[in-house]
Amino acid sequence: MIQMFHVSKIYPKEVVAVSDITLHIQRGEFVFLSGPSGAGKTTLLRLIFRDELPTSGQILVNGRNVVRLRESKLPALRRSIGVIFQDFKLLMDRTVYDNLHLVARVLGVPEAVSRRKIGRLLKEVGLLQKADEIPYKLSGGEQQRVAIARALMSDPAILLADEPTGNLDPDLALDVMRLLVEVNIRGTTVVVATHNRRLVSEMGQRALILKQGRLMEETH
Amino acid sequence: MFWERLRHLLDETLLNFRRGGWGVVASIGAITVAFLVTGTFLLLTLNLGTVVAQWAEDFQVIVFLSDAITPEQVTLLRKRLEGELAVREVTYVSREEALADFRRQIRGQESLLEGLKTNPLPASFQLRIQKQYQTATALGQLAVSLRRMEGVEDVLYGQEWVDRLISLVQVMKILGIVIGAVLGIASLFIVANTIRLAVYARAQEIEIMRLVGASRSYIQIPLILDGTLQGGLGAALALGMLYVLFRATLWQLGASAPLIFSGAELGRFLEVEYRMGIVGIGALLGAVGSLVAVRRFLRA
Repeated sequence: MIQMFHVSKIYPKEVVAVSDITLHIQRGEFVFLSGPSGAGKTTLLRLIFRDELPTSGQILVNGRNVVRLRESKLPALRRSIGVIFQDFKLLMDRTVYDNLHLVARVLGVPEAVSRRKIGRLLKEVGLLQKADEIPYKLSGGEQQRVAIARALMSDPAILLADEPTGNLDPDLALDVMRLLVEVNIRGTTVVVATHNRRLVSEMGQRALILKQGRLMEETH
Repeated sequence: MFWERLRHLLDETLLNFRRGGWGVVASIGAITVAFLVTGTFLLLTLNLGTVVAQWAEDFQVIVFLSDAITPEQVTLLRKRLEGELAVREVTYVSREEALADFRRQIRGQESLLEGLKTNPLPASFQLRIQKQYQTATALGQLAVSLRRMEGVEDVLYGQEWVDRLISLVQVMKILGIVIGAVLGIASLFIVANTIRLAVYARAQEIEIMRLVGASRSYIQIPLILDGTLQGGLGAALALGMLYVLFRATLWQLGASAPLIFSGAELGRFLEVEYRMGIVGIGALLGAVGSLVAVRRFLRA
């Protein structure tokens, strides 16, 4: 589903974010991307949904070469990938409902369908009662779950989560992880970037360890 | 799908418009001012042009006759005038006709003439001139020879100042184009800036839209429509104000100087083609301005 071949990303002033990464993530897999802060996890995720282009190397996502993807094909790629951002990227001046609705509008989903879908997703993440709240007034865990629901709006084949448990207490973190596993069970390939090694070992899933931009080890 | 898209387009455009607040007001205002100034020049130039053309056509040389002239002399003079190469048409206006014409011109203010015991106006020949003789020098020569004829009191010809008016119209035209261009470019920047602010204000939303798979045009088109709307609205507003100003000026002129500015035929507002053109150019300026702003922001 996701393949990288000798991928490097070097930012201006010779800042090496990731270096010579080769990896293969199967369809339907659940994979952790682990490592300390600054190891290049976020960069690696951004390379997958082409928010960044690699300096060298090739990336295949769902059979498409992301590096050589034409601008006009970019929306189709992004629609097949749900992303949960580290900073959530929720619009703080709109309701939870409207935050999800924005995606429906971009996708051109008819009103009735989108209403049903938003209802279902909010129910899944346990926030149906908070649909009309402003995210600003929600707790960190709730905001995280809004971000998850939004990432699932497009029924993505791939779900990328950047530090989804970053600032949650351990119980809430496990709740969120359970939610992601459920999504995975329904067939979505899930990649979770986290610096929390304990969480990785507790979950017992495949983990790719990054250190200073290099892939160090794989644990299962 | 199509309707969803269309609805999105309208929603987004109006949303940008509402959120723009004072920026949008300032932007529309700037375009209005630019078009008001340019439109004033256009209106003046066009009207003056028509008036000058009319004058050049109608009243070219007037030969005033002395009061002592006999009917035989009039007939003779007429023959001689008709024999002139430069003259296309000769019309005799008797003293009585001249007074009647004058009365007609000052309709409503005939009381001005009440004190007159005798008719002060002379009889005249009004000459229309062949096209090829319609120059200041040719008419000057003609006037000199006409003045020598018997029974001629004076010769009046307006060519010199018709020429001057024509060059004034030219100058105004050029001035109008220059000022229009400068103000047009200025308002282009203002629209670009307004749209840029709108884009910045919505930067996060636009980023999210991009990340969840919105195409470039999906994001750009509402913003460009927004600029187009601002430009068109500003130009339309200017047109409305120009019309009000125009009417007020005509009314004012009509009241203060009825002899010169009698009747409505003197002042004509911009034709439909011009009006549509102005709104179109305004919309185009807005579109280009917002395109510049949006392009720069979404280059990544």
